[in-house]
Amino acid sequence: MNVLIVEDEKGLALEIDEFLSHEGFTIEHAHTKNVASEKIFVNNYDFILLDLTLPDGDGFDLLQMLKGLKDRDDAIIILTARGAVDDKVHGLEQGADDYLAKPFSLNELLARMHAITRRKHKLESNDITVKEFRINIQNRTVHYNLERINLTKKEFEIFNYLVLNKNRVISRTNLTEHVWGDVLEINSDSNFVDVHVKNLRKKLSQFEPIEWFETVRSIGYRVNI
Amino acid sequence: MKLQIKLALYNTLTKLAIIVFTGLLILFSLEKITYSHISLRLKNKKNTFIKNLSTKEIGQVLSQEQTFTNYNILKEEYIFLKQIPYEASLKQTESLSTQRRTIERTTDNYLILTYRFNFENHSYLLEIGDTMDAVVQLKQTIKEFTLLMLVVALLLTLLIDLIFTKYLLAPFYKIIDRKLIKVNDPMNFDYEKVKTSTQDFELLDDSISTLMKKIADLFILEKQFIANVSHELLTPISIISSRLENVLLNEELKEDSENKIFASLKTLNRLKSIINSLLLISKVENNQFNKNDEVKIADVVTEVFSELEDRLEDKKLVFNNNIKHSYTILGNHSLIHTVIFNIMNNSIKYNREEGSITVGDYFNEEGYVLEITDTGTGMSEQQIEKAFNRFEKLDTDERESYGLGLAIVKSITAFHGIKIQIKSASNKGTSIKLIFN
Repeated sequence: MNVLIVEDEKGLALEIDEFLSHEGFTIEHAHTKNVASEKIFVNNYDFILLDLTLPDGDGFDLLQMLKGLKDRDDAIIILTARGAVDDKVHGLEQGADDYLAKPFSLNELLARMHAITRRKHKLESNDITVKEFRINIQNRTVHYNLERINLTKKEFEIFNYLVLNKNRVISRTNLTEHVWGDVLEINSDSNFVDVHVKNLRKKLSQFEPIEWFETVRSIGYRVNI
Repeated sequence: MKLQIKLALYNTLTKLAIIVFTGLLILFSLEKITYSHISLRLKNKKNTFIKNLSTKEIGQVLSQEQTFTNYNILKEEYIFLKQIPYEASLKQTESLSTQRRTIERTTDNYLILTYRFNFENHSYLLEIGDTMDAVVQLKQTIKEFTLLMLVVALLLTLLIDLIFTKYLLAPFYKIIDRKLIKVNDPMNFDYEKVKTSTQDFELLDDSISTLMKKIADLFILEKQFIANVSHELLTPISIISSRLENVLLNEELKEDSENKIFASLKTLNRLKSIINSLLLISKVENNQFNKNDEVKIADVVTEVFSELEDRLEDKKLVFNNNIKHSYTILGNHSLIHTVIFNIMNNSIKYNREEGSITVGDYFNEEGYVLEITDTGTGMSEQQIEKAFNRFEKLDTDERESYGLGLAIVKSITAFHGIKIQIKSASNKGTSIKLIFN
């Protein structure tokens, strides 16, 4: 899948590039609005990561231009540090698919991109399998072979996020932010995430040993597949 | 007590004192004057009587009885002569006294001149009396008049003083009300001058306006600064955090380095939270939020509860939701949510294990009250005073406390015109009241 990163901060653009390349995406860059509009005009992208504050204009203009083009299905994720109150609402109204306020975690960005892909392309198989466990993202259910495992909403979110970011350590802070949202002053140091993870593991390990579900001491968790 | 009333009372009291003093003076001197007038008259009469005295007359006077009394019809005056045992060496004495006398069954107060004298080898006692009734009556009249004057003057001056001071002080109260009491934000200060012809008030008005202007300038500067700094900081943080996440992708990374990178990411997250909190406060204070949502308080409490359920369970806290009313305000839903979230988050943070949190509501004369009570560590008076300051935190083992939660609450409640009150007792718990009207 190809991604256009419209971001004037080259340092940040390069980091996003590195991370997404690692995940198998093809990356293109645009540091200004003009370059971006040319590229968008010429190519189709699966994803456009759009910064709102560009040296030669407002990212919203690109959003409008894209919506004016025919037969385009590029998914747009707004990335901004502008933090104006209406930006998020405005962006989503204008047809952006998601909105991430800077600074964001790259893991979170990846999870959002996965979510959009599934939503947009209605993947034939909505299921992700981990050993014998099958996660159905559409119905938000987890099965072991044919047996349904009763997970709470939060346990499902945690499991889903860890599996999406498989083979990477996900810190408690990151996990908390993903599951509970970006709540100011939430105490990510407290072990209440752990409680949910503990319950989740208990439910999963009833069926078979889950040595692949690793606790990384003092940091967080990792699902090794 | 209001200045206006104080002034009026002062004026009334001084007038009261003057009238009472004058009244007493008149009363006293009147008594003296009439007394001396009457005694002079009595003496003259006595002298006339003595001068006209002759043996024959005495004999005539005392012919029938041992005593002689004579009075006029209205018994205002009387004369009384009596023979007393003879004393050769009797000195002629004359004395004045006020006594009661009964004449023909009428008892009255008289001023009496008593005179003892010898006449042709006999001693006599002569009494000439003049009624004091007139004096007593006069005194009474003056007393009543003075009292009446007193009451009338008192009421009249009180009324006039009140009206006058009210008129006089009207600009003063207007300044206080419009420029000090109603201003909770220097940004919305009303610089229009209050009309007054009193120089002192003009000075006061000008001084307050100048002061407010200075404060407002500082405010704007501070807000701009916060907004700019926050924004300019978020981008570099974003770069660093992405860079660190990418470093973590390296599978050959040693565990030690990995830990350090995660710790750095956590620190960055903390920095982000602080900046976002400051940004939020700055935006609220800059009126960048609309408040047109219909916010149902009971629903917000339920939302917050479901978000915090895990933390409540983690500390084994009991949550009592005693909300009975369905009260709706016009405000910003996410901001009200933040207020209740932060308060309840604190209630959890500073609670003891297996404690409780109770949310209740009621109406009182001030409006709708939402009360959140916990069984936590509580706060002292000084701590309550400082609770709403930025970066103020209680001594706590909580590592991730930035001390911005209540500062945010303060700015949001001020933005919505919600009153907030904290009551707390150390080690017993804290109760926070939000008063909506």
